[in-house]
Parts: sequence; C-alpha cells; structure tokens
Amino acid sequence: MATADHQAELTRAGANINSSWSRFTYYVRRYPLGAAGALIVIAFVVIAIFAPFFATLDPTTTNARTSLAPPGGQHFLGADFMGRDMWSRIVYGARISLMVGIGSTVLGCFFGVIIGLLSGYYGGWLDLITQRFIDIMQALPLLVMALLMAASLGPSLENTIIAISIPIIPHVARVIRSNTLALREMPYVEAAKAVGMSETKIAFRHVLPNTIAPLIVLGTAQLGSAILTEASLSFLGLGVPEPHPSWGRMLSESAAEYVRTAPWLVIFPGIAISLAVFGTNLLGDAVRDILDPRQRS
Amino acid sequence: MRKTTTLAVAAVGVFAAATLPAFAQKSGGILKVQHRDNPASLSVHEEATVSVQMPAMPIFSNLVLFDQQKKLQSVDSITPELAKSWAWDDSKTKLTFKLEEGVKWHDGKPFTAADVKCTFDLLLGKSKDRLRKNPRAIWYRNVKDVTVNGDAEVTFVLEKPQPSLLTMLASGYSPIYPCHVNAATMRTKPIGTGPFKFVEFKGNESITLARNENYFRKGLPYLDGIEFKIIANRSTRMLSFVSKDFDMTFSSDVTIPLLKDVKSQAPDAICELHPQYVSRNLIVNEKSPPFDNPKVRRAMALAIDRQAFIDILTEGQGSKGGAMLPSPEGQWGMPKEVMEKMTGYGPDVAKNQAEAQKIMTELGYSASNTLKTKISTRNIAIYRDPAVILIDQLKKIFIEAELEVVETSLWHAKVARRDYTVGMNLTGVGADDPDVNFVENYSCKSERNYTQYCNPEAEKLIDQQSTEADVNKRRELVWKIEALLNEDVARPIIYHDKSNHCWHPHLKGFVTHHNGIYSNWRFEKVWLDK
Amino acid sequence: MATYIIRRFFLMILTLIGMSILIFVMLRLVPGNISDILFDAAGMVNEADKARLEAELGLDKPIIVQYWTWISGLMTGDLGYAYVSEKPALDEILPRIPVTAKLALLALIFSVLIGVPLGVISAVKQDSILDYSLRVFSLSGLSLPSFWLALLILMAFVHYFGWIPIYTDKPASIWHEIGLLSIPALAVGFRASALIMRLTRSSMLEVLRQDYIRTARAKGASTASVNYNHALRNAVLPVITIIGIEAAFLIGGLIVTETVFNIPGVARFLVEAIRWRDYPIVQNLVMFIAVVTVVVNFLVDMAYVLLDPRIKYDD
Repeated sequence: MATADHQAELTRAGANINSSWSRFTYYVRRYPLGAAGALIVIAFVVIAIFAPFFATLDPTTTNARTSLAPPGGQHFLGADFMGRDMWSRIVYGARISLMVGIGSTVLGCFFGVIIGLLSGYYGGWLDLITQRFIDIMQALPLLVMALLMAASLGPSLENTIIAISIPIIPHVARVIRSNTLALREMPYVEAAKAVGMSETKIAFRHVLPNTIAPLIVLGTAQLGSAILTEASLSFLGLGVPEPHPSWGRMLSESAAEYVRTAPWLVIFPGIAISLAVFGTNLLGDAVRDILDPRQRS
Repeated sequence: MRKTTTLAVAAVGVFAAATLPAFAQKSGGILKVQHRDNPASLSVHEEATVSVQMPAMPIFSNLVLFDQQKKLQSVDSITPELAKSWAWDDSKTKLTFKLEEGVKWHDGKPFTAADVKCTFDLLLGKSKDRLRKNPRAIWYRNVKDVTVNGDAEVTFVLEKPQPSLLTMLASGYSPIYPCHVNAATMRTKPIGTGPFKFVEFKGNESITLARNENYFRKGLPYLDGIEFKIIANRSTRMLSFVSKDFDMTFSSDVTIPLLKDVKSQAPDAICELHPQYVSRNLIVNEKSPPFDNPKVRRAMALAIDRQAFIDILTEGQGSKGGAMLPSPEGQWGMPKEVMEKMTGYGPDVAKNQAEAQKIMTELGYSASNTLKTKISTRNIAIYRDPAVILIDQLKKIFIEAELEVVETSLWHAKVARRDYTVGMNLTGVGADDPDVNFVENYSCKSERNYTQYCNPEAEKLIDQQSTEADVNKRRELVWKIEALLNEDVARPIIYHDKSNHCWHPHLKGFVTHHNGIYSNWRFEKVWLDK
Repeated sequence: MATYIIRRFFLMILTLIGMSILIFVMLRLVPGNISDILFDAAGMVNEADKARLEAELGLDKPIIVQYWTWISGLMTGDLGYAYVSEKPALDEILPRIPVTAKLALLALIFSVLIGVPLGVISAVKQDSILDYSLRVFSLSGLSLPSFWLALLILMAFVHYFGWIPIYTDKPASIWHEIGLLSIPALAVGFRASALIMRLTRSSMLEVLRQDYIRTARAKGASTASVNYNHALRNAVLPVITIIGIEAAFLIGGLIVTETVFNIPGVARFLVEAIRWRDYPIVQNLVMFIAVVTVVVNFLVDMAYVLLDPRIKYDD
C-alpha cells in the first residue's frame, strides 16, 4: 500500500509504470543515496557469496616469511602478522559479517514477528505477558544484553549470531504489534472473520503480509547495527572467534599493536566495516522513505 | 649445641654497595605505574599472577629475596631480607634463619619469629585460619615443621634434604604474613613489613601505596608512594605511556611488534626485552583415541616447526627449549646438542616432518583420509594465535583440526575434566628452579598439574634431583627429566616467549629480572630523577 | 488520566520484578562462577577448596533461596558484598554512578546540540546538496565502530598535542572533569546525534506539510519564523521519545568508550563484573540501569500525555 503512492507519482511523472527500467531509473534519481547504498550492499553480497572466487589465497594459511608483508605483489592488501593474506581475509570476512548481520536480523525478526503478531492479534493476557517481557528486554542496553548472551552461550559464530539477534526481538515485536493492532480493525479482516476463517489463519494470511513493509524497514536498519555490535563484542573479547576472519576482531586486535608499524592491518578492515555499515544504512534510509508512508519525505 | 654450616652471611652494609653507580639518589615523588587488569586480591599467597605480584610485592618482606639489582635470579643472587643470616645443619634437613630485630608491621605491631611460623602453618594447612586458595602448597611439600627459637630465630625442618628451599623462599611469591591479621583481611587490606604501606585498592581503577616511614632499612624507600592505574585497553596503555602520563609500563606489556611503535613515539624510553618464563605448549589427551596411540602423539611432536612459531609470533626473538627456561637467561636450560637429540627438536624440520608423515601414512592417514580433531584453547589472543599456527602445521601430517575456543574462565576445569583431545596451553613458572617447575606441572599429586601427567619414573627422577646438592649433577638429572617428558609427549613445549618492559629514563634504580617476572617488584631503591 | 498513570506505574513495577528474575537467571546460565574464575586465575584445580568457597558465598544454596536473599536484601537497602573486592556492593557501585551520569548527560547534550540543528537545516533545505551532505555526515557517525572512532581520537591527541585526554589523575575541579569527559562525550554524542538528526529531520518534514503551516505561510509569516517557531516546536515531541530510548542506547555506547578512555564509570565496571561473575555487582547494577531506563521511559510517556492532547489513555 505504501508503494501505491509512488505509483501515483510515477504516473504523474508520465513514466510508463510497466517498464521496470524506467521504474528503476526513477528510484535512482529520486533516491541517489539509497541507490549508492544498494550498490554497496550488492557488492558486498556478491563478494561474500563468491568469496572463493575473489580471494587470491587461502585466508587461514600462515607463513612466517610473509609476516606483516606490506601491500603489493602477491599480497596486494598486505599480510597480517601470521602472514595471512589481508585481501583474502577481508573477502572471507564479508561472508562472516553478512552472516552475522543477516543471520541475526532474520532470526531476530522471525521471533519478533511471531511474538508481535500473536500478541497484537490475540491481545488479552497473552498480550499483557509478552508486553512485559518486551519491556524487560528493552530495559537492558542492547550491548549489555548481547554481552550476557555471548558470555552464556560461549564463543562461536552461531552463538554470536544468536546473541546479537536476541536484543532485536523486542524491537521488532513492538512495531509489529502496533501494526497488527491497527490491521485487526481493517474491514477485510472483519470480512474474513465473517466468512468463518480461523483466527490463526487470518493472522498469518491477512495480517502478516501487511506487516512486511515495516518489517523490511526495521530489518535494513538493524543490519548495519548488527555488524557493528559484532565489532564491539570483538573489542570486548566476545565476538566471532578464530579461525573465522571477522572484520571486528581483525580491527580491534590489530588496532592496538600495528597501527603505526603495519597500518594496512587497521585501515582495510576499518574501511570494510564502515563501508558495509554505511551502505546498509543508506539503503535502510531509502527503504524507509519508500515503504513507510508516515515518514515519507 | 647444634653445629651449623654458614653458607651465606650478609651484613646489612652490603646493600648500599656494588651494583648501583655512585650518584646521589633523590627522595620523594610518586611512581606512576600502569596495570593491565583488576587483580582478584592483594594476598600474594592466594594468587598466582604478575597482576598481583607487581602491586603487592612492595607491601611485603620475605625472609630472603633474589637481588633486586641483578638481572638474573639464581642461588648466588639470594640476599637477606627479614633474615639477617641463614645456615643448614649437617643433615641438610634443618635450615635456620636469624631474624632482623626491631622490625614493625605496618600497623605498628612488632614482627617476630612467630609470624614466620604462622605464615608457613597457613601454607601447610596447619593453622585454624585458612587460605581460600593455596596455589603453591606443593612448594613446601617437603617441609615437616617450622619451629621458633625465641623471637629472632626460626628453623625449617625438612623430611629430606632440599637445597632449592632457599630459592623458593627467595621468590616474590614467599612473603611473610603477620599472625595477628587473618587471611580474609590480607586479601583486602594487606599488612606487611615492606617498604610501602597499602593505602587503597579501588577495583578496576587503581592501587595506591605509600612510603613506610618505619621501614627497617633506614633511608629506604626513596619514593613517597606508588600508584598503579588499571587501564584495561592495551592501546590506551601504550598511548598513555608514550604521552608520559606514566613512568613505567606493566610487566612484559610491550610485545615485540608494539616495541617499534613505542620507540618511534618515545625514543628515549628504556625498554628491556626479556623472557617471561611463560611457555606455549601442546597438551594431548592420551585417553582420547586415536591419541591414545603413542605413535600419533610422536608424529605430532615431530610435526611442530618451532622456528616458524618463533618467527611469526615473536619476530624471531622467542627461544626454543624444554620445560625449563632455555639458556642464557635460564639457569637450567639444556645445551644445544642435548636439546637437538630430543624428538622434534632436530635442526632439519623437513626431515622431522617427513618422519611424522611416514608414521601417519603407516597408520592409514593420507591427504584424502585425514585425521579430524579439535584443538581447544582459551579465547584470548595469546592462546588463539599459536593454536591457529599449529592447526596450519598439522595439516602437513594429515591432521585436520578445527579450533575450539573456550570461555577463558573454564579452561583449567575443562582440561582437568579431560574434556579435550588436543589443546594449546600456556604455562608460567614462578621461580627458575626445577623443584618449582617440574613439581608444579609434572608431579602426580600437584594441584597445578591439571593435565594429570603421572609417570613413576619421572616422579623418581624429580625427587632425586630435588635432594641433589651438587648443582652440576642436578642439572644432568634435570636434562634427563626433560628428555623423558619429551619422549612421553607430556606437554611438548613449543617455545618460550619474550616481551619488553619499558620505563622512562628519569626512573632510576630499577632492574628487570630476566628469568622470572614475579620477584623484582620490591621498588625499595627505585627513585625518580625529576 | 489518573487511572492511566496508576496503571502505567504498576506495569512499571511488574517490569522491574520480571527484570530481576531475568537477570538473576541469565547470570546463572553464564557458565562458570566466581570460584571457577578465582581458581582458574591461580592455575589450579582443587575441588574441595572450590566447594568451600562456593559455600562461603552461598552459591551452593538452591537458586530460589539465593534469589530471595538478594531481593529481601534489596528491600532493606542491603545489596550484599562484592565477590572480588569483598566490599559492600553499594560502596562499589555508588561512587561510579556520577561519573557515568556526567558522561551520559554531556553526551546527550552534545548529541542534541549537533543533532537537532542539523536535522532542522536538513529538513528545511530538503534534497539540496546541503541536505545530502548532512545526511551522509550523520550516517557516517552511525557507521564507524565506536571503539575505532574513540581510538582514532586518542591517537590524534597523542600525535598532535603530546597529551592524552584520559582519566589518569583525579580531576582537580568540576571544570577539569568536564574537560576530561568532553572528548569521550563527543565520541559517544556524535553517534547518538545521527539518530536525533534523522528523527528531527523526518518529523520536521512531516510537520512542514501540515495544513496549519501552510496557513501560517499563507498569512504571510516569514519562512524562518514558520520553520523555527511553528514547525520545530511540534517536532520536539518525537525527539523527546528518542531521548528516552537513548538512555539505554547510551549505556551500550559507554561500555566501549569508558574502556578506551579509561573512565572509571559503571558501564566498564559492569563488563568487568560480568567477566568475574561478580553476581552482587552485576545484579544490582543491571537493576539500577533498568530502573533508570524504565523510569525515564515512564516520564517520557507522561511528558507525551501532558504535551500531546491527541493521545488516548488506554495504552
């Protein structure tokens, strides 16, 4: 329903709404920052998926002779103190960061949607209980929550994803719930009830699809912050552990020791994280502008 | 009358002499030292880390102490402290100390021989009061009793001769505690007879010490006080050292790669590279198949390329050796030709690896049929980094290992439960003596031998070297033990680490020990030339 | 309205009770306890001594008894003793709160001072080059890892001024302290300002499209007066909300900043306490943070009720 407005605008602009190309160029012109963000995100996704293709060397092979090799030659972004190729580690790191970012966002959204939907649609005691639960979870700072979760689950890639996803749940649940509350009163839901459709079916068939827009808005906004949370956890010693090449750990560990003697170890992962997060944020802003009618500019 | 042989009697006068150049020391000033983490308490007898030693040692006095002005700790560098002199009896089982008189605890109560007895009763578990943790109880396993003869004389009675007792008493880990203060108070408000009084310990922030005006050595210490500031982040520590907010870094804090950075920003800083007496080692659970097969363990011992570890992790500065710290710093290190005979220490790495490969091939492993396992280690960089290299090296002998990082606080418990197959471990040693190192880490009953290595033959040799009075004969026995541990693949030592300790040149009178990091923090003759 | 406030108040209490249970249980799910850590630090294994320490600290009692001991103590103001320092937990927590509070307040002031004007300008000059560059600037604030930003600032100071803006001495005066805190506060505030700027921008845009603004313009009010008197005042409301949300957000940012700038506040202290499994510190500190967050949110809601007559009071 949110895009309907844009469709109207497109028609007004005299564009052919059936041509996907002109639609694409419209969005690019209307949201240049968003387009740039989308480009960055797509680039990272492609690199992550085809990491073995982009990487020039194995990211875990150590080599005493190439320890701290400066950029150039075989290691064109240099090598870390274990002689591992920086470019290949950053390429594989994209995989890890995207797994953490997308994995935790999807996981958090999944549970958030279920909780928000059920609590908003059914209301009553279920709502009261879940609302308190959400209040509780939101009273804890995100990083503290992630820290406690990471400590209790133990260090591993999967557990880091879970730890980062937990604080996302209440956030998503709250938004979905308020959307559902509004949707519950919609005429088509009333109509579905009238024809005797089961409550659960209505909730998932008719209410859920209409919460997709705010969900995408939330999800893209969370993506970048999930990647940064992993970096902060790494800094505190609780992020994705070795041997996974995590950007956060690469940056936080080499920042201390090599910032002057081997700055490439600090600059490149720093650029990788900032660029990836910047891209998702740009994209997230544009998505919100497009999909969220209230905040449309 | 008991006949005594005087081994060493040192007059108080010795202290003013010798190693320090003769220029006037200035008194006063607060020494500002960096600290890396929050020590659990300041009770030396309950802890086993330099995080406690560095700020707590200035509070206390020992009976005897390794010379604070010499770089190496050895039998010859033991100097008097609360004990004026000492002597063994003829049977070499009784060690008698004559004590300083007129010494006062920081709270004003007089120090007597009874305090010495109280301290060792506490360590031997004989007193009513108990230590929460007693990590070095095993050091005194041979002490039968400590007896008091008047206020100024005390005798250690041993089961059998043990010349190394004096070495252990000279470690920073062996301060004398007062009778009149209980163990719990010692953790929070320690009382000692040392050059500095405890003032305040603000958790995660700072530890403050002030000059002890009534210190029994007149005119000492020079400093008015010491302030240890806890800075958890290493980058922040380095930056605040080069900006001269501190006089001294934390012990061994400036790693080899960091040194260049520090030197480029503070070119006149004095930095000393020294071993920490901490070895990286491999632990293998011999109860877990296929590692119950000695051949597999031998192949692993052969596959280790020690030089690669040293080159990568210490830019070539680390040293190869056995369990004891290698020469020249270590007093018990093996000569090169003895060491190179041991499994995996031969100079031809390719040959070793080929032999290891052959063993593995005979056992049916190959590039297509690898042995899959996990390498467990603590989730801290100093543990993880060597583990990553080890995994890489083991690929060559068809072992495909996956890294399992363990929440750091659970590491010892996990190893003690034998809940691991292969592990990367670090072992720190409190004093450069086989009675400390072998007994703590390889004897059957030690609480610090968490890998539970237990070989009756090694046990016998360990006991034998302990009673041996002749240093050269003892050394030969030590090398024999090293060879046996190597053969058993008990805990293959990968390398011994080195690191830097830095201070600004206006700090004078400080000497870093090069074969131990736990005993050079009395600070009584340190002064500031500002 | 009174019933609404009372209802909200009771729900707040309920939330806090739930919080206490959650944190209590979660902490005990974290593997290892203080005794494991102390013995691990001493590099030794001695089950009997370990069990004795656990008994001494009451860790061997059933979890319900432990919970009750804590809660009943809390009621009477007795927070128990910290495990590591063996000092009263209150004495450990209390002196650290003002430091963090000052830092957070300063960061909040910075973020509002940066965020609101930039948001307004960005909205008024919508789609101009200025708007785009301001948005890129604020987004870059959200994209840098906070420890990285903080470290870069420290390095720049040491490199260019030979001086490091960290807490190494006790501040001589409140101004000295504010001086020391302002640089870390700026590092935290920069991140937070991005959120405020974005929100200010979008609520300004929404308000600017409203009928009464058009009316005001039609009546001949100057653009500046319309923008700043009418629009900004109405856009303030959502900004208040985000300040409420940020109370919790800031604490997260402070953990890293306090570590890098070595500030002896509660945020870093909490991380250390988690590492030591110092239950009395973590439990009470988390409860304190929760109380602050919940109360701030409650007050924000109340402010909403008072400021916006359109809100209905049935939750």
